[in-house]
Amino acid sequence: MLEWIVLNKELLKIFYLLVVGLICTIIVLKSHKLFKLSMHQGIRYFRNAFFFYGIAFLIRYFLGALYHQGNISSVYYGYAVNVLFEYFLVMAGFFLLYSLLWKRFEDLESPHLSSLLNPIITIFYMMALVIVFLDFIGQTHNLMFISQIIIFAFAIAISYKNYLDNGTKGKFLKFYFIAMVLSFITWTLNFIASPIFNWSQGILMSVYGLNLIMFILFLYGVVKITK
Amino acid sequence: MAKKRERLQVIRDILKAVQTNRAIKPTRLLYNSNLSPQMFKEYINELISKNFINLDIDKKEKKTFSLTKKGQEFLQEYKSIENFIENFGL
Repeated sequence: MLEWIVLNKELLKIFYLLVVGLICTIIVLKSHKLFKLSMHQGIRYFRNAFFFYGIAFLIRYFLGALYHQGNISSVYYGYAVNVLFEYFLVMAGFFLLYSLLWKRFEDLESPHLSSLLNPIITIFYMMALVIVFLDFIGQTHNLMFISQIIIFAFAIAISYKNYLDNGTKGKFLKFYFIAMVLSFITWTLNFIASPIFNWSQGILMSVYGLNLIMFILFLYGVVKITK
Repeated sequence: MAKKRERLQVIRDILKAVQTNRAIKPTRLLYNSNLSPQMFKEYINELISKNFINLDIDKKEKKTFSLTKKGQEFLQEYKSIENFIENFGL
């Protein structure tokens, strides 16, 4: 089974992209509809998270696939794809965490018209730029991995608390917590895949699999609640 | 003491009052909304600017509020919005 997966790796990556891209599109469209009606900032940041995830995966696997298949030869193109992928992925993580925290920082009665005018979001944009720049200089993804591990560690704590406080009212809160745990494991595996497992194909396939389960969980929640 | 209503609950209550009363006068809507006059004015201005309600003025210059299609859509989707916020901890 693992041999088959390794042999058909590129095809599976494209399939993975299509599935994740479709999931993100559905989540963004459904949450955007609710946001336009409610102007609720939490829904906005949740929508933004999956918008950025969608863009990140599109860049990495679609544009990246063109590069790896030799359709585009410029090494700078390869660098650009990696940098953009990392930037949008980091921002997606920030938005997902902030969707859980925004009430502690913002005035509920006077929502920001645009996230660009929100100083906290501006800080996220700056932090993402710094992370991406330093990773680019060091030719690694370590800072991205570490930032996401920290983000999802916090998200686990917050989502667990939400589940304890409101689990009877919000049935999906349990799955949200599970999704955060899966994301944390995924990022940790990503981080240790090179130094400990020497980029083992089995570990990398597990990362893809866990990631896919996380996105499917969110899709399940969004579709069930908005039907 | 009664718990302070969330912003979306206030909007729902106002829109429900407009929906129930069809063409409702400002004073009656203020009374139904359970808001201070200042807060009421802020919410009404927001709801008009975002096209949830219309302010209609007749030939005798009497003002009434009516629900728009977007306002009706909000009321239909309110439960989904509330569930979404609850279930994703937003």
